Amino acid sequence: MSYIPGWAVFGQAGIALLFPLLANILYKGLYSLVGSGRAVESPGTKNANPSKGQSASQAGVDPAPAPREFSGDYAADLSYIKSTIGRNSDLHFKEFTMTRVQRQAVLIFVDGMQDDRQLNLQILQYLMNEATAESLSAQGMSGPGLPFSQLSEASDLTLFNQSVLFGHAGLLVEGLPQGLLIEPPASTDRTLGEPVSEALLRGPRLGFSEVLSVNTSILRRQGFNDQLEMISYRAGTRIQRDIVLAYMKDIVNPELLKEVETRISKLDIDFLAESGYIEQLIEDNYLSPFQQVQNTERPDRVINALLEGRIAILLDGTPFALIVPVTFSMLLQSPEDYYERWLPSSLIRMLRFAATFMALMAPALYISFISFHPGLIPTELALSIIETRQNVPFPSVIEVLILEISIEILREAGIRLPKPVGPAMGIVGGLIIGDAAVNAGIVSPFLVIVVAVTAISSFSIPMYSAGLTLRLLRFVGMGFAAFLGMFGTILFFLLICSHLTRLKSFGVPYLTPVSPFRLSDWKDLFFRSPLSLMKRRPVMMKTQNSRRKS
Amino acid sequence: MYRRLLPLILCLSLLAATQTGCWSSKEIEDLALYTGLALDKGELTKAEQELEDKGITYSKQNKITATIQVIPVKTTGSKDKQGGQQGTPYQNVSGTGDSLLEIFRQYSIRNERPIVGHHLKVIVISAELLKQQSIGQLMDFVLRDNDIRPSSMVFISQGRAEETMVSKRSDEVPSVHIRQMLRNRSRTSKVLSPMILSKLDALIHSKRSFALQNLVTADGETEFAGAAVVKGGTGHWVGNLNQEDTECLSWLTGKGDTGVIKAYDWDNEPMTYEMKAMKSKIKARSDGDKIRFEVSIETEGRLIETWNTSSILSSGDNTEKAAKLFEEKLKQMMEHMISKLQQDYKADVAGFGDALSIQQPRAWKKVEDHWDEVFSRARISFKYDLKITDFGSFTE
Repeated sequence: MSYIPGWAVFGQAGIALLFPLLANILYKGLYSLVGSGRAVESPGTKNANPSKGQSASQAGVDPAPAPREFSGDYAADLSYIKSTIGRNSDLHFKEFTMTRVQRQAVLIFVDGMQDDRQLNLQILQYLMNEATAESLSAQGMSGPGLPFSQLSEASDLTLFNQSVLFGHAGLLVEGLPQGLLIEPPASTDRTLGEPVSEALLRGPRLGFSEVLSVNTSILRRQGFNDQLEMISYRAGTRIQRDIVLAYMKDIVNPELLKEVETRISKLDIDFLAESGYIEQLIEDNYLSPFQQVQNTERPDRVINALLEGRIAILLDGTPFALIVPVTFSMLLQSPEDYYERWLPSSLIRMLRFAATFMALMAPALYISFISFHPGLIPTELALSIIETRQNVPFPSVIEVLILEISIEILREAGIRLPKPVGPAMGIVGGLIIGDAAVNAGIVSPFLVIVVAVTAISSFSIPMYSAGLTLRLLRFVGMGFAAFLGMFGTILFFLLICSHLTRLKSFGVPYLTPVSPFRLSDWKDLFFRSPLSLMKRRPVMMKTQNSRRKS
Repeated sequence: MYRRLLPLILCLSLLAATQTGCWSSKEIEDLALYTGLALDKGELTKAEQELEDKGITYSKQNKITATIQVIPVKTTGSKDKQGGQQGTPYQNVSGTGDSLLEIFRQYSIRNERPIVGHHLKVIVISAELLKQQSIGQLMDFVLRDNDIRPSSMVFISQGRAEETMVSKRSDEVPSVHIRQMLRNRSRTSKVLSPMILSKLDALIHSKRSFALQNLVTADGETEFAGAAVVKGGTGHWVGNLNQEDTECLSWLTGKGDTGVIKAYDWDNEPMTYEMKAMKSKIKARSDGDKIRFEVSIETEGRLIETWNTSSILSSGDNTEKAAKLFEEKLKQMMEHMISKLQQDYKADVAGFGDALSIQQPRAWKKVEDHWDEVFSRARISFKYDLKITDFGSFTE
């Protein structure tokens, strides 16, 4: 029975087992400590009322505080409006008399939100001189009676106030039971341009803008189709904003859609400043360093994701649309992979995988080679490293940290540098500091190569936010390498792998198709197979309709 | 729940903060890599002699002197001042004793950096030492040590082994130089395929004879000069093969397929055959206790040099005549080598045993234990096939 180890070995095994258990408890505790950020039940925007179609802003949605109904009395309603929002200096009340029907009316609008010429010439002229009793009659209210294309009734005064302040032109007519909202806000809009964060050489030079209706129209304009469905929500407990869910009705998995709808309707925050808020509030695991929602400025990326059975979330006021669910491979794919021919695309994609690995591991490997395993370096290289490092007073960890941190500072500063100064500072920072640091004997020249390659590699990742993740994890990896050398580096890599295997984005495992293994999806993983081979949509999305080709 | 968790997190982070010692971390520049190891008969170095005279020593028998080649030498001051060129890029450290590891550890009381063996490339053993000690004894530590790679190469030197670790040229490291000289195997078969530690390990334990590349130093330059034969049973050095024998050995074992054969033609002018291809096959036959080998050697090549101006070699008759002469020369060389192995050394270093064990396993089983003895009595017949395919570029 000599092969049965002694109690000491069992004890060690028990202690080793304790570590993952402890980590798990710690993780769960931390998770419940912070909470998911989502309301469990009865969210702040419980009345997010899906309304189909594009005219999102007119969706009848009640605000949270108890709404005040229209009294039907013109003077009372007007005085209520004036008392609540009348102090705003940019709000105009244009009172006039409708000459044909001899009724008092008031047009309420915010300065700068309306086309003044149209307001004056057409609307006022029509209302003052041409509007008749029939066109104002109750049954013709939102119908053919009034010649405005965008016309709706406000169901209560609170909503009326909010809409007017948002930029609608409000109309209150004596004798009508409710206020009318006639013109949508014509806010100033920037010209559409190429997305800055995701520039491509080949592909449409069009990015989303800050206006939701423009973004949805860009999506619509991708092509003729009657299956692209957009549902609008309104979220925010203090300031409300429009959210649009876009998906292909006959492709998307209904369960996924339901899950996304549930999470969107549970958003509980006073204001959604950017789609990043939504991303953080609906993601599965906020303790993970990896993003579980993809953000993009590119409409072509969105439409392709929709065709794969994914769902896009667009928020008013930001050019970044969100795509769910996301898998790891998506972060390393660029739309250009599909626009160029398959052989070069596959090569470039594999290059990107290699670059990702380098961006993550290069400094960690450097530390473990230099400080722990000199035997793994080829002799000639070891000699030249020794010669260059003889004047370096620091251990390799400190050396790497000095250079890595300074290059991170340089990167962070580069974002904020004014455009004319940027390149000059890049040269000063990169070349001069690097060279001076080597000459001053703070770092070795070999390390400068490693750090430079790492920095360049991290820029080859098409998703900026994925690059951020790698930047973070690189430092963790360096810590592991500094503690345990190559063993730690491998341990770190295995930890990341096991974490990724566990991670899910909206029910889809993050590492599909690697784990769970789906062979047919490998066609579009490390290499991009010819389009003629990709006859089916990704299996992982479990779409209703699986064939891409007829 | 949170009340209990927070202290736990605090404790763990404190624990992490205390674990700042980087386990087994040794910066590369604080280590001394040695690329060469030379083993000689025990002979005290000057420094050691002086120390011994002062009575500073430890209990030992002075059986071997081990010299290691440490690179690079630590340069002090700024590296810009390299105009002086006073030092060599390597430093040889010697120690005498009777345990290799003990000698190695003894270096640590003299040098500032600990030595590591990851990059050991070349091990040179002097033939004199190998007469006294068996190769198994000398290589025992080297084979056991974790740091030393099994790809390190083993050579034999005539004369002191430590002399091979010194070079006239100040810009090169001799041990690296020796290793790089092996690249010339593409040009000559006088360099045997290198004996690496893992191969040596197998040979030592199976008690087989083998040949090691010989190193000879003359006037500060090291040259590959033939091969040394190490007898399997005893593990001692028994003798040398000269350069031509070594070349033949390479051809016979199929490890070398390059080289030249020079012969003298009918007018006694030298002519040279450059080998392009070489194939050798050993067939083992056994009837009863008698074992015989049939070796067929096929080679193709070109006639690359001739001093004969009177007769044209490329004409049909002359070509065949020349080929015959080369064949004759090859035969002469081969037979010389075989007779040396069979008669003088009684050691099979050419892989006849391997051929027998593969082709006639039953016969091999019987003679395995005293194979060198049996080999020396085995009949070996040769069949040659030498073809001259072309004559280089020339005009008639």
